[in-house]
Amino acid sequence: MQLKKIKGRMAVATCALLQATSPMASAAGSEWDVDTSFLYYGEADGRVQAFEPAIHAGRALGDDDRIELRLVADALTGATPNGAYAIDGVAQTFTTPSGNSSYTIAPGEQPLDDTFHDTRIALGADYTQSLDRMSRIIWGANLSTEYDYLALGVSANYARDFNNRNTTLNIGLGFNNDSVDPEGGVPTEFAPMKVADTGKNVSGDSETKTITDLMIGVTQVVNRKTIVQLNLTLGSVSGYQNDPYKIVTVTADPATGLPVNGTDPSFFDSGVTGNLPYVYEKRPDSRQKNILFFKAMHHLEEDVVDFSYRYYSDDWGINSHTLGLKYRYQLADSYLQPQVRYYSQSAADFYRHNLVLGSDIDVSGNVLVDYASHDYRLAESETITLGLKYGMPMANDSEFSVRAGLITQSVNDGAVPAGQETPDLDAMMLQVNYSFVW
Amino acid sequence: MIRITTLVLLMMLAGCAGMGVEPWERDLLAKDSMQLTPDYFENFYDEHIYFSKEASSGGQGVGGGGCGCN
Amino acid sequence: MKKLQSSRLQLKHEAGYWQGHFFAMASPCEVLMEVDDKKQAARILEAVSAEALRIEKKFSRYRDDNIVFKINHAEGAAVSVDDETARLIDFADQLTRMSEGLFDITSGVLRKVWKFDGSDRVPKASAVNVVLQHIGWSKVQWHDQVLRMPAGMEIDLGGIGKEYAVDRCVQIARGLTTASVLVNFGGDLATTGERRNGASWSVGRLVTGKDNAVALFKLYRGAIATSGDAHRFLMKEGVRYSHVLNPQTGWSVPGAPHTVSVAAPTCVEAGMMSTMAMLQGVQAEEFLKLQEVDYWLD
Repeated sequence: MQLKKIKGRMAVATCALLQATSPMASAAGSEWDVDTSFLYYGEADGRVQAFEPAIHAGRALGDDDRIELRLVADALTGATPNGAYAIDGVAQTFTTPSGNSSYTIAPGEQPLDDTFHDTRIALGADYTQSLDRMSRIIWGANLSTEYDYLALGVSANYARDFNNRNTTLNIGLGFNNDSVDPEGGVPTEFAPMKVADTGKNVSGDSETKTITDLMIGVTQVVNRKTIVQLNLTLGSVSGYQNDPYKIVTVTADPATGLPVNGTDPSFFDSGVTGNLPYVYEKRPDSRQKNILFFKAMHHLEEDVVDFSYRYYSDDWGINSHTLGLKYRYQLADSYLQPQVRYYSQSAADFYRHNLVLGSDIDVSGNVLVDYASHDYRLAESETITLGLKYGMPMANDSEFSVRAGLITQSVNDGAVPAGQETPDLDAMMLQVNYSFVW
Repeated sequence: MIRITTLVLLMMLAGCAGMGVEPWERDLLAKDSMQLTPDYFENFYDEHIYFSKEASSGGQGVGGGGCGCN
Repeated sequence: MKKLQSSRLQLKHEAGYWQGHFFAMASPCEVLMEVDDKKQAARILEAVSAEALRIEKKFSRYRDDNIVFKINHAEGAAVSVDDETARLIDFADQLTRMSEGLFDITSGVLRKVWKFDGSDRVPKASAVNVVLQHIGWSKVQWHDQVLRMPAGMEIDLGGIGKEYAVDRCVQIARGLTTASVLVNFGGDLATTGERRNGASWSVGRLVTGKDNAVALFKLYRGAIATSGDAHRFLMKEGVRYSHVLNPQTGWSVPGAPHTVSVAAPTCVEAGMMSTMAMLQGVQAEEFLKLQEVDYWLD
């Protein structure tokens, strides 16, 4: 007999025999998989605190398709660094972003702006479109809004299985458009911060940037107990990337780092010109990044090890390494999972402690360097996180879990005058999660 | 780096043709504990926290959106 | 609720599930149920065993009081059949077409000349040819639920019956519980759906040539059926005659694997795929690859 593929005819004939209305599929239902979660994040020393509830629901639709929806709310309070640094023995006064009032930082204290009380809502949806038995596209859309920021994005991720589903190729493309509408207006790059109520150097009301990402990844089953993943991501950001609320200190003497004071040069005589010895930061309007991500999961007798490594590199001069390790200790039904994360990054090329009069900025306030920022997030730093998660699967495919973590970030400022180093940041996080089927 | 990674990815696709398991050996891999993203919000929250404190973000997927975290 | 007939049905509790046993269709039958409540397990076991015995009674060729007996002793007269029997015969008809005649429910009479007892008593060609005259689905008139075949011919639904019973029992179990139930009739098995917490059902199959060695595999969803039997064969002058017979030649299919197991969404599909594969003889594996089903053979 000439060999023919009869699988389709067989399925149809079987349907008729068993009087099934559709081919007997696995018992996936018309049910929603729901995840409800809450995150508390809190930094020490009166800095940021965030409360973030979130909900996700996903459901299989006909033909192996799937819809996922998520809603996240985020309430932020607390103070964030404004880009200036602490100075022993010297109090510093800054103007709030609105330009209407000022705040004074005591000597030796890191300058923080605590006028932020931000609430953010984010919505996301993903639709998995099954193309055939071995491939699918996940279409995604997301929106995130807070009072001064709007982010909109779409993405498409194509996945195809090979080798008996042992290998999966993922190709993803994402586009995001973010627009920022800063309080007080978009500050003019490198323009000085003005004394309260003398006007603010603004160049417009809002700015945008677009982000394009391309990811190619392979997931591979190595053996019955091991699966690995390798992703390469290329990203490009174009547009306004400054932090509109961050400034850089102008100093006359790098040995002291003291902000320019007094009447010489007159440009920074605040009594005359209203200019404070700080200028708004400026970053390039283009950023290209490459990311290599590797992950391996291995099942031991009962426990599971999860190892990940990410190498990041961009054309702002930032290179970083992220190492993650999670070990899931299987208990009777529940599990305990210690987690460790180590992160280190190099500084951006334009990260600097301050702008020095004469070499970096002239007496008329013209900045002579291309870009400058003292945002600690662009500095050379290390972050270590220690976490512990406890999970308890329960009846009816539900699970409760709680995860706590301690995060500590330390910045290496290099050679700066004593007392002006960026202090370490300590934070804790607590996540409570309940997943169920509805 | 891009060239090397692309090469490795292609090698993984081609060379991994023999590697893997039969369908009936996927018992452990099917478990929740062996899914690449087990907890829907764990990675999501982590990305959000670290995005607002560090200069690097991403690597595991595209999409997801940004925020004005500062 | 009917009282559990303890003489024929056995129910015991294992780690995480209830296990029921009974005997039907000449096979040990087991029902594994991931329910917590014993009463519910008993109800499911009762319903499954009742269905298995109903199908056995209705389609067994060893009985003299069912539709199959009526058909096989009609002596050329037309026989009208019920809906369920009609569906099975329609299905058999489809299989005969799909296999271009290799699968044929009228081939059962070959058992009169082929006795697979491990001996060397291979039948003579002349004896086989006599029997061949009474074989051939094309000789049967089948339409509008009426069957008419020449005297001396027989139909045998044994090749489909067990798998059909498994799938019917899965349907019944699905109606009684949303929990995962595994129905295993002598190695032809299927599950109603996935177990809790991503667990699987562990099933074993006998591996030929390794003295009752059992290969264990895990079933999450769907069905598995096995064709072949390591012990039913004839051996003469170093040639192994498997019990898989070609209904067109009346002869043993050369080069058939000892056993073929196939995984498919339903037991009927799995069983028919494995049977079809066996009938391909040396081309069994090639056939299975072409069907893009999960299989294994030895």
